[in-house]
Amino acid sequence: MKHGQTKSYVIGFILSLIFTLVPYYLVQHKVAVGRNLLVAILGLAVVQLIIQVVYFLHLGRKPTPRWEIGFLLSTISIILVVTAGSLVIIHNLHSNMSIPDQEKTLVNSEAIYQVNGKLTGACQMIRANHQVIIKNNTASPRYVSADKCDTLTFVNQDSQRHTITFGTHTTHSSYAGVSEFELRQGKPETITLSETGGFNYHDHQRPSIAGSFLVLYNGQGQ
Amino acid sequence: MNEQALTHHERLEAAANDRVKFGFWIYLMTDLLMFSVLFACYAVLHGNHVGSPAGRELFSLPLALKETLILLTSSFTCGIAMVAARRGNKNMTLFWFAITFILGLLFLKFELTEFRQFILEGHTLKTNAFLSSFFVLVGTHGLHITSGLLWMGTTMIFVMKRGLNSALVRKLSLLSLFWHFLDIVWIFIFTIVYLGAFA
Repeated sequence: MKHGQTKSYVIGFILSLIFTLVPYYLVQHKVAVGRNLLVAILGLAVVQLIIQVVYFLHLGRKPTPRWEIGFLLSTISIILVVTAGSLVIIHNLHSNMSIPDQEKTLVNSEAIYQVNGKLTGACQMIRANHQVIIKNNTASPRYVSADKCDTLTFVNQDSQRHTITFGTHTTHSSYAGVSEFELRQGKPETITLSETGGFNYHDHQRPSIAGSFLVLYNGQGQ
Repeated sequence: MNEQALTHHERLEAAANDRVKFGFWIYLMTDLLMFSVLFACYAVLHGNHVGSPAGRELFSLPLALKETLILLTSSFTCGIAMVAARRGNKNMTLFWFAITFILGLLFLKFELTEFRQFILEGHTLKTNAFLSSFFVLVGTHGLHITSGLLWMGTTMIFVMKRGLNSALVRKLSLLSLFWHFLDIVWIFIFTIVYLGAFA
């Protein structure tokens, strides 16, 4: 019994060493990147938590009180609610409340082309219209070239919804104050091309649906 | 008669031990809740470094690994000390707790060296939200380690003077719970703060 206790500490120590060195190795040698790596090292940390709870704290070894485990589990559930909740809320807040983005959305939707005598970059008059048709999980044409203040319409001909967002997959950005929009069948979405430059867009759920558009400044429209 | 009284006494003591341990467990869990709020805070704010260096430019992974291994080893030696304490072996108990104590001090030294270096380079609590949440999270853990060391030091003095009586063994078992708990919290600091910065 008493010999067994020492043994449990030794086992716990060796396992904890392994579960410390493996994530360190993963990060040091960049075995994976970004989200995958983060999930992997967090998973390993949780395994090490369980190892230490079992081998160091000896929780659940005694046949009698289960209160400690119950209290631990309820604490963990509170922690999950608090941390996951804060992260989700702040993430949403961040993507919806970014001030330049908000201003741009407002300026574009209301077509305010100048504020206090300064041009906002919004278009005063709309020019040509371009179309991108998404069908069978491909966008066509994949490349659109347009002038500033033209409009670009996305049409969904698939039965499922698409969530279109800008930038390439994993590095999301926004275009003219729009960060993403939902595209249903028969409900096209039109954006005003008020920012010049080259831009990418893609479907958030199916990154294979992707394309790009180039907006050139032509000195007119404003 | 005598034997029965003894077992009765033992049973009472075991029940008291369980009660005290559960009470302490409730404290540990509320402490864990506090840490989780600090973790949530860090997770939300770690990107807000406004122009000054991010975690990956400040942190040193080998240093973090060193701290982790020191604390893990001290958690292990603390367990071994408890095995000796339950056997009633006073000298071994003191020996292993002394090693735990030294490892704890060493951990604290590395942590303070890191803090000192950041502050000397001008990365203080006030620099940005990322550093505020970093210093508060890691600093709170460091304060816990400090109070754990004070507790360990005083309890060791009591053991030296009075020997291993049942009240002191109970105290030591709570101390070891506390110490293992701090190591578990550190696993998540190591993973989320230090490894996470490079992920």
